[in-house]
Amino acid sequence: MANILMVDDSRTSRRILRQILEQEGHTVVEEAVNGEDGVRKFQQHRPDMVTMDITMPVLDGIEALKMIKALKSDSKVIMVSAAGQKSKILECLKAGADEFITKPFQQNEIVEAVKRIVGKDSSISAV
Amino acid sequence: MFDQIFGNYLVESGRMTKEQFEKVIERQSTVRVKLGLIAVSEKLMTAQQADEVNMLQSVMDKRFGDIAVEKGYLTDDQVGQLLKKQGNIYLTFVQTLVDEAICSLEDIAAFLDDYKQESGFSATDMADFVSGDPDKIIALFLPADNNYCARLCGVAVRTLTRIVDSTAYISKAYLTDKLDAGHGAFQAMECAFQITSGFAGEGKNLLAMAVPFAKEEFEEVDIDALDAVGEFTNCVNGLFSSALSEEDVEIDMLPPVFYEHKITITGRFYILPVTIRGCRMNFIVSADSPLIIQ
Repeated sequence: MANILMVDDSRTSRRILRQILEQEGHTVVEEAVNGEDGVRKFQQHRPDMVTMDITMPVLDGIEALKMIKALKSDSKVIMVSAAGQKSKILECLKAGADEFITKPFQQNEIVEAVKRIVGKDSSISAV
Repeated sequence: MFDQIFGNYLVESGRMTKEQFEKVIERQSTVRVKLGLIAVSEKLMTAQQADEVNMLQSVMDKRFGDIAVEKGYLTDDQVGQLLKKQGNIYLTFVQTLVDEAICSLEDIAAFLDDYKQESGFSATDMADFVSGDPDKIIALFLPADNNYCARLCGVAVRTLTRIVDSTAYISKAYLTDKLDAGHGAFQAMECAFQITSGFAGEGKNLLAMAVPFAKEEFEEVDIDALDAVGEFTNCVNGLFSSALSEEDVEIDMLPPVFYEHKITITGRFYILPVTIRGCRMNFIVSADSPLIIQ
């Protein structure tokens, strides 16, 4: 099961996402409310995985993704954003995002994305 | 959408009681079967395919039939056959009104005429209104002279009925330059043109959207409830931006902003009145100048 950092400026979104992740047995180690907060908390907690919104104040999710990848190139990041434009998706994938889920999301989209990452990464316990 | 708009018109004009309307809606929900269910029972799709399309429909601004055709599960002809089997919502609504002895067919024809006059609809508009096609009905109420505003309003209404409350309905959009409201949540988008959209409401009305969307009970329209409204607006704008990106129009969305206390909105903007479970709120879209919210 994964230790996850959630980065999203919306409390509603964080709350829904936390419920889904915890129901699946994952641990949300910390919540961050913007990209800058997310990068700082990533350094503090070194989570197995990050869920990252894009449209956020202070520092957006794409910049935060790049900074996290610069800190740890094999970090696992799932983008969870309403900004589902082709250019945004491509930019995120180029910057190293592992998955891209558009809001409004369904529970199983999140569950399956996390499972795919856990399945690929032997350092995260699957149990 | 037809049943909610026309049914509420009948209630508000005193031709049907609220209790009678609730009974009609309840009876209709048992009669009207979802398209996916019909497709599975007709063995045109597997239950797994129908579930997949239902799931996709909840995250996309598309109809069940359109997604099923895109995925190669159904042909256009099959969708047409299924829609025929599902029945026209106008006809089932009228049938239920007659069956429940609420009014006669002659009464309904007269009420529709009154509605046509009061709404300023043409004969063609009325044909769309009773067509049973939700997209045609929604289009009747959207701004007529601004393509992007109309499209954004359309996405908002479809998303609202799909993921917040299927009984939500709209009244005719109009252009204005000032609105006072109790609370609001808005989001600006930047591109070749500038557009801001959001929801504003009085009293606790915005809770009718915030509670079902966030699946959380709120006592007041506080910052947490407004966050839910802002996040819904963000989802609507995201679907709108994604659709435009297919046409090579790139839009950058800014973080939503919330107003917990009384606001005055000025500028040139469209108001699309939305009613959810009796609670009226306004979807607001800037027309061709920035919104000023104070």
